Amino acid sequence: MTTSYRPTLPAAVAVAEPSRPRLLVLATSLASIGFVAGYGALMAMYLAERAAVISTGETWLPAGTVIPLTQPNFMALTLVWSLVSMAWAIAAINNDDRSNAKIALSLTLLFGLGVLAQTGYLLFLMEVEIAATRAGLLLLAVIGSHLAILVGAMGYVLVTLMRLFVGEYSSRDTDGIWAATVFWYVMVGLYLVLWYAVYITK
Amino acid sequence: MALTDTAPETDAPAAAPVVVGPDPSALGSGDHKTVGRMFIGGGSLFLVVGLVLALVANIERIDLAGYSIVDDGDMFAQLWDLSRLMIMFGGVVPILVGLGIAIVPLQVGATTLAFPRGAAAAFWTWMVATSIALLSVVLNGGPGGGQTDFVVLWVLAFGTMLAALCWAMVCLGATVLGLRASGMTLDRVPFTSWSMLMFSFLGLVALPIAMAELVLAYLQVRYGFLPFGERQGLVGVMDSLTRTPSIGLLGLPVLGIALDAIETHTGAPVKQRKVVLGALGAMAVFSFGGAVLAFSSFGRSIAGDNALLVLDTAAVLLPPLVVLGLGGLSLRSGKLTVRTPLVAAVLAGALFTKGLALGALSVIEPIVNFLADVFDQSWTVADWLQLGGSTLHEGVRALAMAGAVLGVIAGVHHWGHKLFGRALDDRLGLLSTLAAAGGGVLWGLAELIGAFIDPEIGVLAGLTDDGVPALAVLGTAGAGLLAAGALLLLLNVLATTAGGRGSAAEPWTGLTLEWATDSPPPVGNFAEAPVVTSALPLAEEA
Repeated sequence: MTTSYRPTLPAAVAVAEPSRPRLLVLATSLASIGFVAGYGALMAMYLAERAAVISTGETWLPAGTVIPLTQPNFMALTLVWSLVSMAWAIAAINNDDRSNAKIALSLTLLFGLGVLAQTGYLLFLMEVEIAATRAGLLLLAVIGSHLAILVGAMGYVLVTLMRLFVGEYSSRDTDGIWAATVFWYVMVGLYLVLWYAVYITK
Repeated sequence: MALTDTAPETDAPAAAPVVVGPDPSALGSGDHKTVGRMFIGGGSLFLVVGLVLALVANIERIDLAGYSIVDDGDMFAQLWDLSRLMIMFGGVVPILVGLGIAIVPLQVGATTLAFPRGAAAAFWTWMVATSIALLSVVLNGGPGGGQTDFVVLWVLAFGTMLAALCWAMVCLGATVLGLRASGMTLDRVPFTSWSMLMFSFLGLVALPIAMAELVLAYLQVRYGFLPFGERQGLVGVMDSLTRTPSIGLLGLPVLGIALDAIETHTGAPVKQRKVVLGALGAMAVFSFGGAVLAFSSFGRSIAGDNALLVLDTAAVLLPPLVVLGLGGLSLRSGKLTVRTPLVAAVLAGALFTKGLALGALSVIEPIVNFLADVFDQSWTVADWLQLGGSTLHEGVRALAMAGAVLGVIAGVHHWGHKLFGRALDDRLGLLSTLAAAGGGVLWGLAELIGAFIDPEIGVLAGLTDDGVPALAVLGTAGAGLLAAGALLLLLNVLATTAGGRGSAAEPWTGLTLEWATDSPPPVGNFAEAPVVTSALPLAEEA
C-alpha cells in the first residue's frame, strides 16, 4: 500500500453518498449479450447451410446418422430443473439461508454434469463422422460450442459456490449469485434453441 | 446560468493524504490509467507495424508483373491482409479501447474502471495473441497460408484477440452503466463516454459474429474442408467487419472524441445534445445491421438485390452527418484555435464521414447510374456491392482508417496531460496530423480513382494493370504518409514520457469531470465521489 494525494473537487461539484452498483451482474449481462450474438451467428450458419442443402432436394444428415430424441428431451428437462435450482439459490441467499444456497448451487452443478454426460452419450449414439461431411462439421460446431458455454457456466457456478463456502454472500450481497444465475439462464436459453433447431427439427 | 449544485459542507479536509492501492506504475497494475496507457502503447506499436507493412505492399503493387519484395501473388495477398489485421485489430481498435479505459472512468466521475484487473488481463491476452497472429503469418499461416498448422494458429490467435477486446469492452460498458457519478443520468454522460458505451455494445454483438465464423473456420481447416486454394476466403472474417457500414465500429469513438475536443477547444457546448447521443446510438444500430448483413453473405458474393444492405449502407451515413453538423455549429460559434486535438478531431470526423459517404453513394442507384453515364461504363449497384476486395472498398477503408488514426491523434493529444502527466508537443502533433490526413486522402483517392476507371480491378490485380502506375505511386505515398503520421505520434509520446519534452503545465481544461482532478490523476481519481446536475459539471467553474 502506498500513500498518495488525491485532489479535492472544485466547488461546483458536490460530493455523493457511497453507492454499491451491481457491477458483476452488469458485466455478466454484457458478456452474455456477446455469447448470444456469437452462438446465434453459429446457429444461423448451421440453419442457412441446412436450408440450402434441403432446397436442392438432398438430405441434410449423412446416411447412417440418427438423432434420437430421448437424450435431448431429457437434457432439456434437466436444464429446466436447473433454472429452478438457481432460483432456489437466490431465494435462499435473500433469506440469509446459506445452507440452502449451497445445496441449490451444488444441485445446479449436478444437473450440469448430467447434461455433459448425456451430450457425450448422444454424440456416441449419433455416430456422426465429423470429417466426412459438412453437416457433421456443423453439428460438431453447434453442439461443441454449447458444451463449451455449459462448461463455462458450470465454472462460474463452481466459483460462486466456493466463495459461498468461504463466507461470502448474504442477503445484503447477492450479486455473485445473481450474476451466475444470469449466465446460467442464458446458457439454458441457448440450449433450448439448439434443442429445437437441431435436435427436434433435425 | 449555473449548471451544477454548489458543494455542500463537508468535514473532509482539503487535500488530505489518503491511503491508496498498489503502485500504479507497476507492470501488474490494476490502475485504469496504466492499463489504458498499456493498450495505447501496444496498439501504437502494432499500428506502426501494420502501416509499414501496408507501405511495403503498396510499393510492391506499383509493379505486380515482376515481384521484387515478395515471391508471388499468394505472398502479396498475405502481406496485404496482415497489414489490415495489424492496423485494425492490432492498432486502431485497441488504442481506442485503451483511450476509453484511461479516460471514461474520469469522465463519468468513477474512482476506478469496472474490473480493472480484468482489463489488464484483457490487455496481456490481446498482446500475446496479436504477437502470435503476426508470427503465424510470417510462418506462412493466416488467410491464404500454406502451412496448415500455422493457419490454425492464426485462426486461434485472431479469435483470442477478438475475445480479449470483447472483455475489455465489457469493462468499459460496465463502467459507464454502473459507475457513473451520482446525478449523471445517461443523457448527461460526456460524448466520448457515450460513444465508448455504444462502441462497447456494438463490439459485443459484432465481434462475436466474427468469432463464430472463426470457430467454423478452425474446424474447416482442422478437418481438411478448407484446402490451400480456398484459404484466402478466411480474410472474409475481417472484411465483414471492415467494410461499410460495419466499419462504423471505428467511427463511434472517433466522433465522440471529436465532439469533446470541439467543446473543449472552442469553449462552445454542442447544441441539441440528446440528438447527438441518439445519432451515435443510431450509428451503432446501422453498423450492427451491416455486420449482420455482410456476415449473412459470408462465403458468397453479396447480392446486389440485398435491399436491406443497400438501405443500411446508405443510412449509416446520416448519424455522422448530424453529429458533424452540430459539431460544426459549435465551431462557428466558438473560439477557433489551431491546436492538434481540434485540427485532428475535425479532420478525423471529416475523413471518416467521407469514407462512409462514398460507401453510401456507391449503393444509391440514381447516383451509380449517373456515374456510369459520365464515365461511359455499365456499372450497377450490384457491381459495387459484389466487389468485396475491390479498390472501391479499399478506398473507403483507407479513408476510414485514416479517420480513425486521426481520432487517435486527437484523443491522445487532447488528454495527453491526463495520460502522461505532460502535454504532448503541439507542433509535432500538428505535423503528425497533417501527415496522417494527407496520407489518408492520397491513399483513398488513388484507390477510388482506380475504382472509377474500372470497378473490377481488385487489390491483387493492382492499379497498374490498367495502365495507371501513377495511381499506385500515389497510393504508396499516401500509405507512407499515414505511417509517418502514426510514427510521429509514437515518437511524440515517447519524447514526452521518457524525454521530458512537452509542457508540464496543463494547457487547457474542459467542462467535463476529467478536468476536475489533477493531471495525471492519482490512484482513485477523485477525493470524493462527485454529484453532477448537468452534462457539463464544470461549466460554472469555467
